[in-house]
Amino acid sequence: MKPVLIAAFVRSPFTPTNRGALSHMRADDLAAQVVRGLIGKTGIEPGEIEDLIVGCAFPEAEQGLNVARMIGVLADLPMSVAGVTVNRFCGSSMQAIHMAAGAIQMNAGEAFICAGVESMTRVPIMGFNPMPNPALFDRYPQAYVSMGETAENVAVKYELSRSEQDSFAEHSHQKAVAAQIAGQLADEIIPIVTATGTVDQDGCIRPETTLEKLAELKPAFDEDGTVTAGTSSPLTDGASAVLVCTQEYADKAGLEPLAVIKGIATHGCQPELMGLGPTGATQKALSRAGIGTQDLDVIELNEAFAAQALANIRDLGLNTEKINLDGGAIAIGHPLGATGARITGKAAQLLRRHGGRYGLATQCIGGGQGIATVLEAIR
Amino acid sequence: MISIRKAAVIGSGVMGAGIAAQFANAGVPVDLFDVVPDAASDRDVIAKDAIERLLKTDPAPLMHRRNAELITPGNIEDHLNRLSGCDWIVEAVIENLDVKQGLYRKIAKLRHEQAVVSSNTSTIPLASLVKGMDSDFRSHFLISHFFNPPRYMRLLEIVTGPDTRSDIASAVRDFADRSLGKTVIDCKDTPGFIANRLGTYWLQCAVITAMDQGIDIETADATIGRPFGIPKSGVFGLLDMVGLDLMPHVLSSMKGALPASDPFHAIHREPQLIERMIADGYTGRKGKGGFYRLDQSAGKKIKQAMDLASGAYHDANRKPRFASLKRARKGNLRALMDHPDAAGRYAWAVMARTLSYAAWLIPEVADSPAVVDEAMRLGYNWKYGPFELIDKLGPAWFADKLRREGSPVPAFLEQVGDATFYRVEGGMLHQFTLSGGYTPVQRPDSVLLLKDIRLKAEPIATNRSASLWDIGDGVACLEFHSKMNSLNPLSLFMVNTTVDIVQRDFKALVIYNEGDHFSIGANIGLLLIPAFLRSWFLVEPLLAMGQKAYKRLKFGSFPVVGAPSGMALGGGCEILLHADAVQAHAETYSGLVETGVGLVPAWGGCKEMLLRWSGNAKLQNGPMPAVIKVFETIAMATVAKSAEEARDHLFLREHDGITMNRDRLLADAKQRALELVTDYQPPLPEKLRLPGPTARVAMELAVAGYRKQGKITAHDVTVARALAEVLSGGEADITDTVSEDDILTLERKAFMKLVRTKNTIARIKHTLKTGKPLRN
Repeated sequence: MKPVLIAAFVRSPFTPTNRGALSHMRADDLAAQVVRGLIGKTGIEPGEIEDLIVGCAFPEAEQGLNVARMIGVLADLPMSVAGVTVNRFCGSSMQAIHMAAGAIQMNAGEAFICAGVESMTRVPIMGFNPMPNPALFDRYPQAYVSMGETAENVAVKYELSRSEQDSFAEHSHQKAVAAQIAGQLADEIIPIVTATGTVDQDGCIRPETTLEKLAELKPAFDEDGTVTAGTSSPLTDGASAVLVCTQEYADKAGLEPLAVIKGIATHGCQPELMGLGPTGATQKALSRAGIGTQDLDVIELNEAFAAQALANIRDLGLNTEKINLDGGAIAIGHPLGATGARITGKAAQLLRRHGGRYGLATQCIGGGQGIATVLEAIR
Repeated sequence: MISIRKAAVIGSGVMGAGIAAQFANAGVPVDLFDVVPDAASDRDVIAKDAIERLLKTDPAPLMHRRNAELITPGNIEDHLNRLSGCDWIVEAVIENLDVKQGLYRKIAKLRHEQAVVSSNTSTIPLASLVKGMDSDFRSHFLISHFFNPPRYMRLLEIVTGPDTRSDIASAVRDFADRSLGKTVIDCKDTPGFIANRLGTYWLQCAVITAMDQGIDIETADATIGRPFGIPKSGVFGLLDMVGLDLMPHVLSSMKGALPASDPFHAIHREPQLIERMIADGYTGRKGKGGFYRLDQSAGKKIKQAMDLASGAYHDANRKPRFASLKRARKGNLRALMDHPDAAGRYAWAVMARTLSYAAWLIPEVADSPAVVDEAMRLGYNWKYGPFELIDKLGPAWFADKLRREGSPVPAFLEQVGDATFYRVEGGMLHQFTLSGGYTPVQRPDSVLLLKDIRLKAEPIATNRSASLWDIGDGVACLEFHSKMNSLNPLSLFMVNTTVDIVQRDFKALVIYNEGDHFSIGANIGLLLIPAFLRSWFLVEPLLAMGQKAYKRLKFGSFPVVGAPSGMALGGGCEILLHADAVQAHAETYSGLVETGVGLVPAWGGCKEMLLRWSGNAKLQNGPMPAVIKVFETIAMATVAKSAEEARDHLFLREHDGITMNRDRLLADAKQRALELVTDYQPPLPEKLRLPGPTARVAMELAVAGYRKQGKITAHDVTVARALAEVLSGGEADITDTVSEDDILTLERKAFMKLVRTKNTIARIKHTLKTGKPLRN
């Protein structure tokens, strides 16, 4: 196996839908600026990129028409650089990284930009034309279960209390606020030029969040439930990108890679318990990397909901001290297609920053799936 | 003549902000100024806060939220130079002559030479306001007295001075009438003008008489309210609404301004109870409570009333029982005022003095009864003005009763003698005048009213629920006139008759009436008989009859213009959806509210909304967005709270018009109909592509989510699923087309399914009984 490297990671600021600073920007324009930012930051020669692989959960309308190709053109990549859009819902841009890794193993390229984007303002979750299969709905309605409902199901199954979830969410904000104040997020953020000015700050993080405020929120999905807007990731606009390449390419381009990919996996689970997807995927990816959870120094576990994050922590026996050190999606935001590249890039970045050996990035996926990537630091 | 293209209002209190909002509602940009508070970091904060308040107030002063963008806040220290761009400057600052004149001196320097300046004063005479001002200012100055809330109260009293230029006054009258939608009444420069002069007397009289006669406030309001065509809030409820703290100001200004001979002085006193209430913060609805309050201590809202003797609250007696009130319910006012029981004596004591005072005020405040009546109808929401009430009682009977009890009989009442203040001559309404003769009641130019037409003509066709009128120039008018204009088989029968007659004898049709509400929809009470008999076969023909009648309107060989005002709900909204065009009064409240009673629109409402949204370019492409939009609109029983808002929901389309002045609606609608006559081609039936079961499932998924969130009830789910079945096109496939008739069939099927459920019947019964929806 050839070593596959995560050589660089950037993202746009993540801002809330509608009221946020990026709501007036098309997803393709947003992602193009992030791709340009990655090229600028790494100094790579764009013509050497084999493919631009872009994850997007609802690739339609402004995010449609193989948006990856459009982003490549908008980002002034040479026409020789191909573009493919990947949809694995929330796991889309982590899947983009996996595809690049696979291609590298097949000698099908040396350098890939693996990006992700979602304007949840401009293309709503479920898209504009949700058209479920009536026969499947009759036979297996869980296939179309809403995400909020899955979080409630997980909370019930794992007997997760409201206060446990609130506390998890509060902690996520506290970590993100600390990282923001310490300037830990600035390095990864590409300032986005909009019609009304440059946006360089995340917009979802709430320094004012307290347990008391969280406790006042009403359940968002089930009037008798425990999951609230405060313990769910917010609807977010954002884009992210990582550079995936071979060791030879990194050396040639003079890059300082962040980490090497040691194992990848996807895994299916019950749709109505989709939040548990990371457990199966992580177990497979760790096994493929030949390590156990105890070996992990850095963990990026996507916080679609506090409930599902807590359930995976419990099932995998994860050390909470090592999870989402700069805050998770509850605070940072979760622009569906962009999250996978963000957390993989973040895990790689944290390995370098904290000096550990192994890192994990994993997330749950609507429809009942998980995806995981195990990284190893480069010494 | 100057045209009003930009306005300014100085003073952003309740009245000033409300007036600015009405300018914005008329589409006119307006500056709103106030003072700079001490130590303010934002020097415009008062005006800005006022605009924020406009957006939060209910009922809304703005006809659409975005109208707030037409109001620019500012302050009088930094921004008065903006006045130079304003054509009408309204002063609405505190009632202090020095403050007002100081402001006028500044305005005089800044206004452009054609600009009108007016004061919203309710107490200071015009002569005092302009004293010392130069002739140029005086010639452009007048009093424009709006009523609260300015959006909803149709009266605008105008006072011009001897120096006011007539073209300036005309420009204001015309703009206020057509653009602000007001009925403009020219008043003399007398204290309180017309409406408040009589209104204040009436309120004061009712309060002190209740105290003197030991009448409880519930009885007082039940007596002085409904029986006289006065809003049921009566006297004490009205005082709670306007604020008790306003009364001492108004009373003392009247006391100071009125000559000693005025009957007002005989009833003027300021009861200790009210002084104490104001001091303790019981100023009415805006305070801790007033004569009434809602007690929530027991966990639910209980209406309580104050005992006028002790000042203590008790649970309100909702239905005071008196023989006199019972007789008044049948419209017999004379029996009420002649009755010896407590309510009868109270009615006489208050209303005899009030009506006498009205007659006494002629000619001091106005030269004719019609003006006073109009002012009370539009400024106080009385159904009948004081002279109309005297006519109901019989002027001779009234004068005689006054005489017998030794009360003075006003000269104008004596003068009318055995006759009445109004009579119809030559098909026109005439009023009695001081000269002893009758003159026609004049309408403003080009106002067309059915009530006038009715005086000189018979309907072309009529039954108990609807009539068809000839309104001239080849245009017919279909009028509903059942209770609340609810629609029943007789209404539908008249729709069919109308189509037969209009296509034979007329060029165009206007659907219009002068009820408070265009139509509250189908008479759902009719469904209870088949429900009781379990004879459901009786229901479907009603649906088919409505669908057929509305279809005939839509596809008939003549243009149809719907002209609603007030509520146009359910079946009343559906008939508008079938018209070629709508000319709506700005105060039109439209919506398909059938789901509230557990049903779906089944007179073509679902079909027409699908057609409208399917062709809407504002939506994303694809088969679902239009279906989802219509589903949300109907499932949530969305009601647009103005004609402007109705455009957001496509109850009104781009080419539909809005008329600000209620009295001009029929003329505008007729004009619109005549415009459509040239080369009129009826629409062709359309075909739709609907997604079928997949859309139904998508909507059901959304509904299930709402149910889980606790936002909707179990029966809401049943109703929404039935609606989803209709809007998805039933078993349609995206490759096929669905006809308008196919959707009508689905509407009937869904309606029939729902009407058989016990929860829908429970909703219907509850709504009929309480007027409110049942959440079951």
